Amino acid sequence: MKFILSVSFSFLWLGVQAQCDLVLSGRVVDEHDRTPLDFASVELVGTGRGVQAGADGYFRMEGLCPGTYSLRVGHVGCDPVERRVDLKGDQVLEIKLEHHAHELHETEVKRKRPDEHVGQAGRTVDRADMERASGKSLGEVLAAVPGVSVLNSGPNISKPMVHGLTGNRVLLLNQGVRQEDQQWGAEHAPNLDPLSSDRITVVKGAASVQYGSDAIGGVIVTEPVALPRSGGASGEVRGLGLYNGRGGGANAMVQGGLGSVRGFGWRVQGSGRYLGDSDAGRYVLSNTGLREAGGSAALGYRDHRFNAGVYYSWFGRELGILRAAHIGNLTDLQNALDRGEPWFIGERSYDINAPRQVAQHNLLKAEAGYAITEHDRLVVTYAYQADDRQEYDIRRAGRDAKPALDLYLTTHAADAVLKHWLGKHMHGRIGVNGLLQENDNIPGTGVRPLIPDYTRTTGGVFVVEHLPIGERLELEAGARLEATRLDVVKYTTDNMLVRPGHRFTNTAFSAGAAWTAKDSAQVRFNISSAFRPPHVSELYSEGLHHGAAAIEEGHAELASERAWKAVLDLSERFFGRRLRIDVTLHASHITDFIYLRPNGTRLTVRGAFPVFQYTATDALLCGADLNSELRLHRNWRWRVAASTVRGRDLVRDEWLFQMPSDRVGSGLVFKRSGPDQRSRISVEVGTDIVFRQERIPEGLDFAEPPPAYQLLNCTITAERPLGRNSLRFGLRGSNLLNAAYRDYTDRFRYYADARGTDIVLWITYAFGGGPNDHEPQGAP
Amino acid sequence: MKTEFVFHPKKWGAAVLALLILALPACKDDDEDPPAPPIVNEEELITTVRLTMVPALGGDTAVFDWFDLDGDGGNAPIITGDTLLTGTVYNATVLLLNETGNPADTISNEVADEAEAHQFFFTTTGSGLSWTAYGDVDANGNPIGLASTWTTAGAGSGSLSVVLRHEPDKTASGVSNGDITNAGGDTDIEVSIPFLVQ
Repeated sequence: MKFILSVSFSFLWLGVQAQCDLVLSGRVVDEHDRTPLDFASVELVGTGRGVQAGADGYFRMEGLCPGTYSLRVGHVGCDPVERRVDLKGDQVLEIKLEHHAHELHETEVKRKRPDEHVGQAGRTVDRADMERASGKSLGEVLAAVPGVSVLNSGPNISKPMVHGLTGNRVLLLNQGVRQEDQQWGAEHAPNLDPLSSDRITVVKGAASVQYGSDAIGGVIVTEPVALPRSGGASGEVRGLGLYNGRGGGANAMVQGGLGSVRGFGWRVQGSGRYLGDSDAGRYVLSNTGLREAGGSAALGYRDHRFNAGVYYSWFGRELGILRAAHIGNLTDLQNALDRGEPWFIGERSYDINAPRQVAQHNLLKAEAGYAITEHDRLVVTYAYQADDRQEYDIRRAGRDAKPALDLYLTTHAADAVLKHWLGKHMHGRIGVNGLLQENDNIPGTGVRPLIPDYTRTTGGVFVVEHLPIGERLELEAGARLEATRLDVVKYTTDNMLVRPGHRFTNTAFSAGAAWTAKDSAQVRFNISSAFRPPHVSELYSEGLHHGAAAIEEGHAELASERAWKAVLDLSERFFGRRLRIDVTLHASHITDFIYLRPNGTRLTVRGAFPVFQYTATDALLCGADLNSELRLHRNWRWRVAASTVRGRDLVRDEWLFQMPSDRVGSGLVFKRSGPDQRSRISVEVGTDIVFRQERIPEGLDFAEPPPAYQLLNCTITAERPLGRNSLRFGLRGSNLLNAAYRDYTDRFRYYADARGTDIVLWITYAFGGGPNDHEPQGAP
Repeated sequence: MKTEFVFHPKKWGAAVLALLILALPACKDDDEDPPAPPIVNEEELITTVRLTMVPALGGDTAVFDWFDLDGDGGNAPIITGDTLLTGTVYNATVLLLNETGNPADTISNEVADEAEAHQFFFTTTGSGLSWTAYGDVDANGNPIGLASTWTTAGAGSGSLSVVLRHEPDKTASGVSNGDITNAGGDTDIEVSIPFLVQ
């Protein structure tokens, strides 16, 4: 504690405030394929101010005065380029350099504009944001993005929801590879360590053209790490303590080049969390412990003509499911609702008993790219994924130790993409993908499988072209054709072996435009389609859902979901850039939208259960996200984020089930830097208000939606240099008033309150320049 | 530098060929069926709940049967009631079976082995029959319910219900007297079978 105090007090001397506080930041990339150019020098001519961009091309200069500067950017293998920068407010630049040893003439500096997803609304969570969210799972990290919420099953299982859609309707792209784990269940959190990536981008639009099926609500892209190409080792080590759950965690990352051999880079990363039972405001949430570990290693080579890399990651998780959420029948559910608190509250413990889940995910990816002409590059990727999941239920006669569900899912995926230029301006990608997947129920559970064994084969072709028109407008158009074949092997209830097969052929289209109306204003528009063949669980699942007291039944006749989504994204600065407002409006129309609908009751040995059958309807979803920030004073900012979404069942003319309720988050931020720009402190006090969901369908739910709630949060971060290295310190408190609340999109809201006060403390030591250190490293 | 569109037939050809080779496996029609997975025997399934009532002073045994061979879903259960005599005390036993295998698995033995974690609760609707008391105890001296006593009064009819709770709080108020209200736990069995008293 003494140490912590001395660290935090040492930030108080930050002292004399620099007079100017503008920030110039951006990224230096190769003009042709937008690969980041590492360690470019970025200099404001005549001011003595200069920085070196990081390994991933990012740079940042803080504490600049308003004025006109000459920005000079240089990189090995490129001619330096100079451009005038009129600095009135914070500015973000994308600097494109022509990086060919034999083409040193043409350089281009452009304002930042989206490229991969023209016209799509999106937001990136970078390493600094992830550090602020230390101790959270992927879903919770992403919930900071307006328009993203979570579908929870108790305190440890969070699935990201984009614009009201989740599960198989949100595609997760891990290191450029479709994450293939068991995403069909509400209690299946993504098996992914957010810290294995430097940047996670949420694309809030339908993007099946580029990524294939399932990208209906949006795409979560954990971007491949940009490896260093030279230099010594750098990295960071972090330790954290978590109050709620009385646990801790750690993560570490080291990367570097291969000595004098230019072009090679490597990176090793690992992280883990260990938690006991969480606390709701008034009681312990028994059997909600968590152990989680992940690690990854990457090795790559890159020069201007050829690149190749291998990446491997492993992720393992064991978690307990709230004991009180395991119920036998509707009477138990009614008792749980009447009781108002869990029927089982035990002593606080680190033990994880049944019901529990154990999951492991492996990803091996190999990639190679070759510039077949000066402008055209062929990139070939192969990825293997193995997902191993066991779910243990409460059973008699010592069968607790035997999984009730034991699935092994293997996926081979290969793509080839040709990045090409057609003429001087038009450029794009044409590619093919293939996927072969096998799901096996491992025998020995003594329980009839919830989903059957199956083999899924998918092949697709796509093309996306971009056409920039002048400096301010960029257009995009694309199309995809994809075919899926699903072969199922299962037994009927009277033990007859059947092998049903399904074929799905789908197309997707997209058109987008991004227009930088003026330096402070951007308009993006995109309309695109997406599709999703029904998952085998929607076709064939059959069984009792213990957490929901319902029998869920598949429907083998279901067709593919097809969606059209339109997104309009507006971004504008007001009052001399003191106020920034980003607004996203979205609307999607989904035909054959699959959901569970009550279909009578059935008598079982546990009593009568409602039967829910997967049914298709047509759905319309629309909503808006707001993200704004007002600079009140030199060091003070006020930010407001809000999102709202409405979902209608067009066939039955009623509301859709389980849509996230409206929410507003607001925070007052204080930031201060020392005169050397390397000591920093920031304090944010904020509140999140979540309204009651008033728009629910009739007869689909067992309980009324919970009331509105408000949470008070506070985050303090500080950084101070230690020579070339630095020490960062963070303290985050959530739900500081220990409010007792339940969220509408928490599946365990029938049984228990959500998490009470949580306090997380972390200390990070970054060495060798750190992974994300874009700060001055001495004037050039 | 001029960035004109330069077409290199060889290089593009190689690229397109590579794409096709990659696309091929996706189109390959694999007609070999994968091997059939083994048939799963539902180990914990309770297909049969049988309450056998024997008059304490001798007489005809009555059997109340709840039978559903295919488990949850599929065919509806077969429920068979029985007739009891008026003014009689009955000693009842519960038998739970999983009859999907051969020989059948006696699930009530598992309940007896884990007696501390299980308790039966009995209620009746209608008139003529009432549940009287538990006839067995676990190692802690708390009731189980595999054995119990029942009493008939005058003629009547209705249905009796058998509930088995897993991990109930046996020490909660009223639970040892057969009152389910404060028992908690999760329900393993909840069946209802008609009776006639004449």
